[in-house]
Amino acid sequence: MIDFSRGRKVKFYYNDKVIEAYEGESVLAALYAIGYRVFSYSPDGERPRGAFCMIGKCSSCLSMVNGVPNTRICIEPVREGLRVYSQKGFPEVPKVEEVVEAETIVLKPDVLVIGGGPAGLQASLTLAEYGLKVVLVDEHFKLGGQLVKQTHRFFGAKKFYGGIRGFNIASKLSREVMDNENIEVFLRAYAYGIFKNGYVGVAVRGEKPLNLLVRPKAIVAGVGASEKMIMFENNDLPGVMGAGGAQTLMNEYGIKPGERALVIGAGNVGLIIAYQLLQAGVKVHGIAEIMPKIGGWFVHAAKVRRYGVKIYTRHTITKAIGRDRVEKAEIAMVDEHFQPIPGSEKVFDTDLVLLAVGLQPNYAFFSQAGAVMKYIPELGGLVPLRTKYLETSVENLYVAGDASGIEEATTAFIEGEIAALSIAIKLGAGNNKTIKKREELLDYLWNEYRKSPVVMRACQGKLKATVSEEEMEKIRRGELDGI
Amino acid sequence: MVMKTRIAIIGAGIIGVMIARFLVEKGVNDIVLIEKNYPGSGGSFRCATGIRASFTSPEHVEMMKRSIELWPILSEKHGFTYRRDGYIWLLSEEEHVEMFKKIVEFHHRYAVPTKIITPEEIKEMVPTINTENLLAGVYDPLAGKADCFRALLNTLEYVKNKGAKVLTRTKAEKIIIKDSRAQAVETNKGVIEAEKIIVAAGYGSKKILKNSGVDIPLENLPKHALITEAYKPLFKPLLIDWSTASYIIQVLHGGFLIGANMKEKPDTIPVNRIEYLYLAVKIWSKYFKWLPYTRILRYWTGYYVMTPDHHPVIGPHSRIENLYIATGFSGHGFMMAPSVGEIMSQYILGEKLSVPIAKNLKLERFEKGKYVKEIAIFG
Ligand SMILES: Cc1cc2nc3c(=O)[nH]c(=O)nc-3n(C[C@H](O)[C@H](O)[C@H](O)COP(=O)(O)OP(=O)(O)OC[C@H]3O[C@@H](n4cnc5c(N)ncnc54)[C@H](O)[C@@H]3O)c2cc1C
Ligand SMILES: Cc1cc2nc3c(=O)[nH]c(=O)nc-3n(C[C@H](O)[C@H](O)[C@H](O)COP(=O)(O)OP(=O)(O)OC[C@H]3O[C@@H](n4cnc5c(N)ncnc54)[C@H](O)[C@@H]3O)c2cc1C
Ligand code: FES
Repeated sequence: MIDFSRGRKVKFYYNDKVIEAYEGESVLAALYAIGYRVFSYSPDGERPRGAFCMIGKCSSCLSMVNGVPNTRICIEPVREGLRVYSQKGFPEVPKVEEVVEAETIVLKPDVLVIGGGPAGLQASLTLAEYGLKVVLVDEHFKLGGQLVKQTHRFFGAKKFYGGIRGFNIASKLSREVMDNENIEVFLRAYAYGIFKNGYVGVAVRGEKPLNLLVRPKAIVAGVGASEKMIMFENNDLPGVMGAGGAQTLMNEYGIKPGERALVIGAGNVGLIIAYQLLQAGVKVHGIAEIMPKIGGWFVHAAKVRRYGVKIYTRHTITKAIGRDRVEKAEIAMVDEHFQPIPGSEKVFDTDLVLLAVGLQPNYAFFSQAGAVMKYIPELGGLVPLRTKYLETSVENLYVAGDASGIEEATTAFIEGEIAALSIAIKLGAGNNKTIKKREELLDYLWNEYRKSPVVMRACQGKLKATVSEEEMEKIRRGELDGI
Repeated sequence: MVMKTRIAIIGAGIIGVMIARFLVEKGVNDIVLIEKNYPGSGGSFRCATGIRASFTSPEHVEMMKRSIELWPILSEKHGFTYRRDGYIWLLSEEEHVEMFKKIVEFHHRYAVPTKIITPEEIKEMVPTINTENLLAGVYDPLAGKADCFRALLNTLEYVKNKGAKVLTRTKAEKIIIKDSRAQAVETNKGVIEAEKIIVAAGYGSKKILKNSGVDIPLENLPKHALITEAYKPLFKPLLIDWSTASYIIQVLHGGFLIGANMKEKPDTIPVNRIEYLYLAVKIWSKYFKWLPYTRILRYWTGYYVMTPDHHPVIGPHSRIENLYIATGFSGHGFMMAPSVGEIMSQYILGEKLSVPIAKNLKLERFEKGKYVKEIAIFG
């Protein structure tokens, strides 16, 4: 089991009530821990919304923080004296007593790395090794990305942290990055777009807000992914949560997300989350899986079955029931067209519906940059086309990790490193050994790691997204519309 | 493919759609709209949705006044929002106040009810505004805004239900003209024969007409705009900062849309410039100190399709029979669309014009050197 070392106690205000919290927690986690479940309302002010993604990607926790509305409190760190108010519908314009003008800073590093998940961390460290100056920005108030909530030991080669637990890898790499003098880190720093003359705009929030104008020679965007939502009645009721959201509560903050849970989706994430819920003392009613077969690995399925968790294949969720939070949930069997069969409904008393129905790469940064994109179902959605060295059709913009198509953390490390090595070679900081190292990594990635039958689908997707350098040249010249 | 129709309209922007709307309203349903992309994809979905009659030429004033009579009727019939929320020009220099006094006099001659107001009156209509540097404002209560998405899409749905066809992803290349008569539209997907052909393709009109042997003096002027996240209604009027010719409007769904002037060369492809975000926020945070604390949701570029006298080209071609043109709206085509639709339907069906002065807006004015005159360049 995991030990939670809690930070210093701090006090803040929520709707004028004093709340005790621990430094290092997000505002939302602190509120969740003491029983709050509703964190905002739909734009018409009628429908309550709860925590869903916990990583700043779904907008269902928008609140007013120190007078500023629409703040995502799941990535807002608690601080002494913070004043937080819930919002109902669209907010009023910000109430500001005194304007703190954001200072503009122009930075010209060799490389800008966007995203401090495994892909971005590994890319930064590799680039720094070659003496390149790196600016690393992440929207969250801490580094690590999705890795901080992985409690299991990693599979695979020692070089890629096999045998170590995810969050331990995250803290090790974060420390190395922080201590590296070639890497400058900005947290709560959102990269919002790339503009004429190659400037990337980054908004840094906090007591001293900054406008960074970063003009790098190359960019690695390891911006990760967001959880998918599916359609069913009341899918916005508090208690309907992404699997990653529940993982964040349990594994990052040591908070039990609820008492009884129903998991939707029996892929690896669904199976693992069910197991982690059981360990956290949550009763798991079952796992509904729309396909006739379980998608995740046999070992994971066997593990939850041993605890008596039933896996309902050919079933989907049809509705969540409750007034301002989930009280019951209904699943039904589906026919060959995936339509619910009337009369097959089962209702569970539950306060949690956890969606483990897949992730979708964050594509906004690439689209805005003008990269040629392709919709690839095997990779979870829209991704930029890239060469095997991970350069997109926007020259010197590289993609790595989940943003390049959903796989998992090990490939995120590897892709981060391949992108970094390619940049080092391009910028003249590498040598023959660098080229050799890159070839070895590519060989390992494509001919060994991705050959495992369990990652077939993603591998096929990555093949579809990868073009040769000649093809990429044609795409850039507008002679080829993409493949 | 060869298709036959009574009326072919090139361009499914707000102008093309409104022309179709006034035709079907008079029982003409045999219409084909030819659109190279998708409806609204040109200027119409990028606009700031502002509507006013407070212009400085009789042509503009009369056309816009008719539009303002039509907007509520259309909004009621097609179920989109239109509101008379007003415009306010914010004036911080003495000479501007003097100039606007003359403009207001001109407006009153044409029954446009603008008036000079005090900074206190501005504050009453625009909570949270800092009026420190303001000398006065000019208020136009007749002005307003409409939902540009629903206005176009609902109206299009209506004309489709009446039998009009829309060909999307279909690009008009040229108009086939024989014996000084327009006969058909050549597209990338085939030829469409028509009794009457209307070119309402924004800047695209220039190329189509050139390929058909007709010159039209149009320039594409790049423009930038941004919008914030949505907030509860704060103020109704569209505000114009006269010294920078920049505007801010809280659009109907709640976001604040800002347009500010960037130096751009005509006929160039606009790109995203980070300076634009700085410029827009700098101008308007002087008035609203909360602005830097809002999030910008989107930033986009578009064009004003300009003519030499900044007035549109509306009406039949003087020498080519059955060819009609409606373009060059110089940044005001959304507000004018209803009266343009009506006037064009009247030209096509040989009816009397509801705005007689519209006859000054035909293409031939440029050949004859008879430009439309304004008492001041404004807005
Ligand atoms: C619920 C869940 C369970 C998982 N379980 C496992 C597992 O058991 N084993 C495994 O190997 N993998 C697992 N994964 C996958 C693994 O965690 C991811 O593949 C991996 O973290 C991807 O790394 P990344 O660096 O690409 O992205 P992320 O880790 O998602 O990091 C992206 C970072 O970018 C930041 N960011 C995004 N946009 C911007 C921007 N515009 N500006 C600044 N910062 C930005 C984000 O804040 C984030 O910190 C799981 C993922 C999830 C969501
Ligand atoms: C930032 C901004 C703010 C604005 N604010 C306002 C405002 O507040 N009020 C106002 O009144 N106006 C405003 N305007 C101007 C207004 O948007 C335009 O005048 C109006 O949309 C013009 O409508 P249209 O139908 O002529 O053109 P468009 O909407 O551009 O329609 C023309 C259509 O023709 C199609 N087309 C082009 N070539 C071809 C071809 N060869 N074959 C087939 N189809 C073709 C295009 O794809 C397009 O859909 C603004 C414009 C901008 C850019
Ligand atoms: S954005 Fe905060 S829970 Fe999703």
